[in-house]
Amino acid sequence: MRLVVLGYGFLGRLLVKVIGRYSREELLLAGVASSRGYVYKERGIGPDELTESLVRHPEFREGPPIEMLEKARADMAVILTPTNISTGEPGLTYIRAALSSGMDVVTADKGPLVVAFRELVSRAESEGLYMCYEATVGGGIPIFSLAKQYFRRDRILAVRGILNGTTNYVLSRMHFEGLPLDLALVEAQRLGIAERDPRLDLEGVDTACKIVILANALMGLDKRLTDVEINGITRISSEAMMAAKEMGMTIKLIGRIENGSLTVAPRLVRLNHPLCVHGTLNAIQFRSSLLGELTLIGEGAGSSTVASLVSDIDWILERRGVSKGNLRGGQPL
Amino acid sequence: MTLGLTDRPGSLLAALESIAVNGGNIISIVHSRDRITGGYVPVSISVEFPSSENVEGARRGIEERGIPVLSMESLERRIETMLIIGYLQVEELNRVFRNRGEVISLTVGGGSRSPYMRIVFSAGVEERPRLLTDLSTLASERGCLLVPEEN
Repeated sequence: MRLVVLGYGFLGRLLVKVIGRYSREELLLAGVASSRGYVYKERGIGPDELTESLVRHPEFREGPPIEMLEKARADMAVILTPTNISTGEPGLTYIRAALSSGMDVVTADKGPLVVAFRELVSRAESEGLYMCYEATVGGGIPIFSLAKQYFRRDRILAVRGILNGTTNYVLSRMHFEGLPLDLALVEAQRLGIAERDPRLDLEGVDTACKIVILANALMGLDKRLTDVEINGITRISSEAMMAAKEMGMTIKLIGRIENGSLTVAPRLVRLNHPLCVHGTLNAIQFRSSLLGELTLIGEGAGSSTVASLVSDIDWILERRGVSKGNLRGGQPL
Repeated sequence: MTLGLTDRPGSLLAALESIAVNGGNIISIVHSRDRITGGYVPVSISVEFPSSENVEGARRGIEERGIPVLSMESLERRIETMLIIGYLQVEELNRVFRNRGEVISLTVGGGSRSPYMRIVFSAGVEERPRLLTDLSTLASERGCLLVPEEN
């Protein structure tokens, strides 16, 4: 299959390295685009051709990524654009264009799914195309892959979890070190865990976006961000955290889908509770009619997210009869 | 629960074992020897169990030992903790708790800069959702944030 990648940030660069380990018969990287321009080669881009900077490639062309997408002869598009939860752009336009051109889509961008989940899924289905989005929620935790197989005949009744690594890191530092929120946040920013503008994380909006995707994808609902009751962690003081700690508890930001209602709010969690994970870890718990409760724990961001992208790509390769999804070589990331 | 024990040594012990392995904490045992019926002595036992699953486990264990459970009544109450970020008037809190739950302890801290209230309370399983909804509404009306316990 021929593949194009839109987005050449941290995830894009990591993914391109991993793609180099597939055989060219399985997966050929035809093009990579960043916000400034793109490299497109009809015969494929070699595994070591791209450096950290796309611009330095001799065949780099300035121009909008959509230009590459429209002219590319490709079977699959991986969309790794920065998230915009209000408009879904630019990812939304790229996904629409990819589907219109007959490409299967893999994306890590939450924005388009929060804004237009039903539209995109229907469009893909009506065209006989696949759209996979494992990387949008829980980083490397296999949520949708698990659901596709394991919960196929089961009914998910409720979902809850810690789905934002930044807030979990900040709350963990407040719990273990007694730090006030602002100092824990500065530390998280210094370590590259928190963004320079952390409002979407701290105010619970990022978790709310993930809850919307989970509700729509796993429970067949048609929810939007405005349907979520959101309370972030900005009002949690170190004194309140200590009051929780004295009772053998801590405070965590929990996203929840239950009885059709979606909420994000800080909650008291006992230290032996299955959802009580610390640092940048995420935890998600499903309650289903056949299985009962199942909890998954893993890194919610960073390099582990590439595992989700690779899993989606392999799933599509398998469905298209291209391969059984085995990597050649097997070099660890 | 009221059990029908035969008037033989060791039959009470067998019942108590089932209660103990299910985490039961015995509050009282009352023998009613004056009410022997069909060869059974009715024995009423009040027990606290950690969960309703434990109650059922104990009942199964007792019956498997050949002891009939003549009647059983359970009053499910949970003890849990919540934080309120901000400060509510105690009278307002009492009004919401009235007939729905009982405040076991109330701690106020954080000073005027970041006040919080920590409430340990008990509530019946049926009353709890309404209690939390009303507390959340009150907190929101007063510019406070309710942080309940995750079960």
